[in-house]
Amino acid sequence: MRKWGLALALAAAASTTACVQTRQFADVQFTPPQGNYKLLVLRPDVTVSQLTTGGMSEARADWTEMARKSIVDALRAQQASRGGQTVVVEHRNEIPGVTAQELADIERLNMAVDQSIVLHKYLGDYLPTKRGKGLDWTLGADAVRLGQKTGYDYALFMHAEDQVASTGRVVLGVLGAAGCLVGFCAPNIGGATQLDYASLVDLKTGEVVWFNVVQASSQIPGIKFGELRTPQGATQMVDRLLGRMKPGQAVRRQQAGRR
Amino acid sequence: MCIKCMELSRRSLLVGGGVAAAALHAGVAEARIRPQDMVPLVGPGYRPTEKDELGMWQQMERAEEEIAGSNLLIQDPQVTGYLKDLIGTIGGPAAKDFRIYLARIPDFNAMMFPSGFAVVFSGLLLRMRNEAQLAGVIAHESGHFLRRHMVRSWRDQKRKSDIFAVGSMLAGIGGAGAGVYLGDYVQLAQLGTILSLFAYSREMEAEADAMGMKLIAENGYPPMEMPRVWEQLIGEEKLSARYRRKSRRRGSLFDTHPSPDSRMADLRISAQEVTVPGKVYDDRRARYLATIGPMRQMLLDDQIKLNDPGASLYLVQTLAQDGWNGLLRFYEGEIWRLRNRPGDEPRAAQSYAAAVVYPDAPADAFRWHGIELLKNGRTAEAKAAFARYLAMKPEAPDAAWVRQMVG
Amino acid sequence: MKSVLKPVLVASALALSACTGLGAGESGFSDYSAVSVKRVSVGDDSMSVIPPRPWNRQRHVTFGDIREVDTWTLNGPYLDEIDFVSGLKDNRALIRQRWNANQQVPRFRSNMTPPEIAAMLESLFRVRGGAVDFRTLSLTPRPFLGTNGFQIEYEHLDNDELWRKGRVVGAVINGRLYMIMLDAAKLHYYADVLPDFESIVASARLRGA
Repeated sequence: MRKWGLALALAAAASTTACVQTRQFADVQFTPPQGNYKLLVLRPDVTVSQLTTGGMSEARADWTEMARKSIVDALRAQQASRGGQTVVVEHRNEIPGVTAQELADIERLNMAVDQSIVLHKYLGDYLPTKRGKGLDWTLGADAVRLGQKTGYDYALFMHAEDQVASTGRVVLGVLGAAGCLVGFCAPNIGGATQLDYASLVDLKTGEVVWFNVVQASSQIPGIKFGELRTPQGATQMVDRLLGRMKPGQAVRRQQAGRR
Repeated sequence: MCIKCMELSRRSLLVGGGVAAAALHAGVAEARIRPQDMVPLVGPGYRPTEKDELGMWQQMERAEEEIAGSNLLIQDPQVTGYLKDLIGTIGGPAAKDFRIYLARIPDFNAMMFPSGFAVVFSGLLLRMRNEAQLAGVIAHESGHFLRRHMVRSWRDQKRKSDIFAVGSMLAGIGGAGAGVYLGDYVQLAQLGTILSLFAYSREMEAEADAMGMKLIAENGYPPMEMPRVWEQLIGEEKLSARYRRKSRRRGSLFDTHPSPDSRMADLRISAQEVTVPGKVYDDRRARYLATIGPMRQMLLDDQIKLNDPGASLYLVQTLAQDGWNGLLRFYEGEIWRLRNRPGDEPRAAQSYAAAVVYPDAPADAFRWHGIELLKNGRTAEAKAAFARYLAMKPEAPDAAWVRQMVG
Repeated sequence: MKSVLKPVLVASALALSACTGLGAGESGFSDYSAVSVKRVSVGDDSMSVIPPRPWNRQRHVTFGDIREVDTWTLNGPYLDEIDFVSGLKDNRALIRQRWNANQQVPRFRSNMTPPEIAAMLESLFRVRGGAVDFRTLSLTPRPFLGTNGFQIEYEHLDNDELWRKGRVVGAVINGRLYMIMLDAAKLHYYADVLPDFESIVASARLRGA
């Protein structure tokens, strides 16, 4: 699926050592949702795979189920702590009053918008007219109509991916590190990768008000963190992705001015 | 225009996490497998129990949801109902649970996904001459499912790449000692692996051919129709290459599919093996033509607009074996008009002039006929052709421009 | 009509590998340069226009680009795009292609009528743009650059499952093709950018005119 491309690109942009990176962009007027708000989470795209010794990604149904459940639970808890009501939509035909086709059209536009954001904000191919202006993209009137029909204030589009190294791979990694001494480094024998991105759309205006990418990877297999299958790991990921929403530029300036 | 969008080819649009494609690749001949040796390895109501297969099915669920919601699907109930009946009949013991989707993609291809749904491209319907041929392709795809090729190939690949990874590491270390850096090669190979999760081996393709042959023979279709599919494809490939002044690509050792030539040869032998002398077979041509007849203009349109003159001409000429008509002469004209090499415009003009004589000539034939006449200074005749066009299609998109030409 | 460094896969090469931040962000080298609100030349420089607000222009890559074609965007090429064709000569194609590629985009000919130009554009989208469905919505006469030109409107479905809509205004002058083409996502972006397009078309002038 086309999402592979984005994920691979972001993975390729990863660091060469173990680290957790997040980078968020927000609309200049963005204030993180607070108080009594309703959040629609659309078809979270969750996959947990096993990384075999040969580097192949093997989707594990049981792990994915665990991860999906953990993420959804963590999401609900986290949004509840901010005062929000969360509804998670798994299939396109689940929203009353909205046809599967209407939802599909919005999702597809959102995909194009997300790709644009990644390309022009994260990967360096910036658009001069949007430079330094926070986040300046919208899904338009159809997203507003979705909000009106359903009564939701925000829509969250999410993609979460996790890979766990098998034992064979851990062994290989050690070998690779040793090889570095001889002059041959195997930089891409990574240990585990967690790649997640989310975009938040304000359904009153249709605008993408907030976008974040979390990328946690270690080049040294055997180091684990943020394991999506566990409640703790999922909570940690959700927190990194959504919990530290910073207000937009203009709002921050105002706040700074007030102090 | 979205050249810059994810430049996935039409084929790969519907490729989610895994595809088995009956693609037109060339390769080296593999030892033939006998149809009678093929038995299904799954039965009705099959559900996986092993972890890796479960994982695959789950990913396929999402892929299926994407495909079922795709804008590219043809939803015509007559045709989709027909395909569903067909796969239910020849798909083997598990076929009652199969789903089948028809995508509007003008390539010859069909694919079976590991969780029991198939996708057929509309280009297939343009190329199959009767129901037996279509059944043969669908049976081949079902063969992949019934012989559990997806899981087997996946496990095969996993084992191979495990070996490969260890090997490359050792080679790297050894190589570095000798002053050779092999790191990049490993990286490329891994990318290729991720993007093509299911690559069937040549042996598996031969198995699917054999299984397919067995299935269609059991259902009363003439076995010889299966090799004929490849015969037709070879003809198309040859003409396509000739029109671009190239030679048809020959096989390479690294391709995973048997070449069309060797497939055709093996299937001919298999067909002879399973044909029961004296038995009456039926290719059900009439039913096939009646079902897809209404779609044919759309199928031709999509094909011709790819601007592959050799392939398109082959297909038009094949259809014309049943007799030329206005539609076919019109598309013949379109092929020349789009190729647009020196000398092609008069050819196109000739075809349009021939098309408009038939009662089934499409409205567009009159417009193009008019334009050719106009360019040749035959203004009065041009205006008459345009007038006819407007009479047939008063709401045509370019009616305003044509009206201006009529004056 | 140039591709933006293909799938995002390739674009990742621009990213830095330090752990201080994801990718290069908005510094460094971009494919795009700014277009200010003043008269600018486009294509082979024989045509000039004025944008109503700042736009972004794709830089030319020396190999693989057609000199007579210029591409602008407001929100990024996945969402909207305006292409300028100025002075395309007889027997030239709108994009670079191998002479013996199986599927080809027809070349422009000086004696082409507007329906033939519309058909050429359809081929461009299907063969190179990856469009799986293309519908011409209208073809009407429209004055352009002081002569009798044409306007074409169309829609197409691309291989990212998104419908896009387009409007083209053009004319053949002295045997050469001049066009301004808008292509944008049908949901929201087409309607949003159309006024800019119309303003740009109205401002278009030929050099020496």
